[in-house]
Amino acid sequence: MFTGCGVVSGQNQYLTRAAVRPHPGLEVNRPIQMENGVTPGTCSVYQDQTYSNVGQPVVVNNVSSPLKPTPLPVPPPALKLGQEGFKKVCRTEEVSPCPFPGLASGVLEMRVKEGSKIRNLMGFAMARMQGEKGVSGGGVSGGLRQVVFTGSGRAVTKTITCAEIMKRKVGSLHQLTKLQYKVVKEVWENTEGGTSEMTVHRTVPSISILLSKDPLDPQEPGYQPPEILSALWEEREGLESSSQTACKRPLGPLPYSSFPHCKRVCLGEGVSVHPPH
Amino acid sequence: MTEPRNPGMSSVPQTAPVHTDSSSAAVEMDPVEYTLRKRLPRKLPKRRNDVYVNMKTDFRAQLARCQKLLEGGGHREICVHGLGLAINRAINIALQLQASSQGVLQLAANTSTVELVDDLEPEDPDEAGEPMTRTRNNSAIHIKVFYPDPQ
Repeated sequence: MFTGCGVVSGQNQYLTRAAVRPHPGLEVNRPIQMENGVTPGTCSVYQDQTYSNVGQPVVVNNVSSPLKPTPLPVPPPALKLGQEGFKKVCRTEEVSPCPFPGLASGVLEMRVKEGSKIRNLMGFAMARMQGEKGVSGGGVSGGLRQVVFTGSGRAVTKTITCAEIMKRKVGSLHQLTKLQYKVVKEVWENTEGGTSEMTVHRTVPSISILLSKDPLDPQEPGYQPPEILSALWEEREGLESSSQTACKRPLGPLPYSSFPHCKRVCLGEGVSVHPPH
Repeated sequence: MTEPRNPGMSSVPQTAPVHTDSSSAAVEMDPVEYTLRKRLPRKLPKRRNDVYVNMKTDFRAQLARCQKLLEGGGHREICVHGLGLAINRAINIALQLQASSQGVLQLAANTSTVELVDDLEPEDPDEAGEPMTRTRNNSAIHIKVFYPDPQ
């Protein structure tokens, strides 16, 4: 969660907060306990709201609650809803078409949610991609060739991380990345009353990453070839630039920062790093 | 390291390369009492049409900057970069640019892994701790927003 609700309120200057708030007495700086599971995340929500004020077309939410008579152009942030005594009942994703054209139907789709553990996701995906490679035949069970990672809202970063980890473990994978908006329907209900209910439609950014052992179309926007040589290039550049930045950076109390490449140390091993004197 | 989400690393400067001090957040670590300083990520080359997104600058300002580059600056394409928590914001900016252009713009997203280095320095100089570094990986996204070539 964000450490500062101050960040949140700072961006609220141009939001229609007055219209949104039915209970004026509530304070707004209290961090709320979000329910576990899938949340679009305050980050995405505020971006949704900011862009909607720039004048972008926004999916209008179906507000059926009697507490908010005026139709809102902006879906209220999840933070506010939680503070007003609303609890999220359910969150359903509206199905949007798969962005990859001509994708085989038997491809493994990994849906990354915000609460997913990377360890579990990678265990499953790696087993499917690497395992059963000895089995002959082109069936689905015989060592998958393609896998799609999808995630939306707060899970986008985790999705990218999963894809990067898989690329690192299973080398020479072709990647295709697609971005789109997803509409998420949330149902919030009042904890006390139990009568008032609100349905909120939010548009959140979502990402879909296709990793494939077979070569993909390089002309497709979002295509990324398997990194073999580019990794070396990045490393070499890293050496140069890090030595440069190490020189220019004021050293201060750090005695070892003049050493351009400090060896990586794990805390438990007891190996110490000493600059060459 | 005590905060699960720390957007401090997405402070790659947008205007000019900055080589100031490395700490964006000093977090005390116990029990050995280290001060954690995050080094800035490796300075990436910045062309005129590169935009690095961070969580500190206002969203609308970054969006306006991208729009100005595309329309006024005459660039046919711009590249929006985001690191860590700023990935979401970078995607939002790119999708926003596409929506405001009535679908003329196209997006091409690439992902990468960036290595970040943390310096751990002992809090108390008399303490037996020695300065160490720790590296970790973070995800980054690079979105190319471009006008497709007429074919």
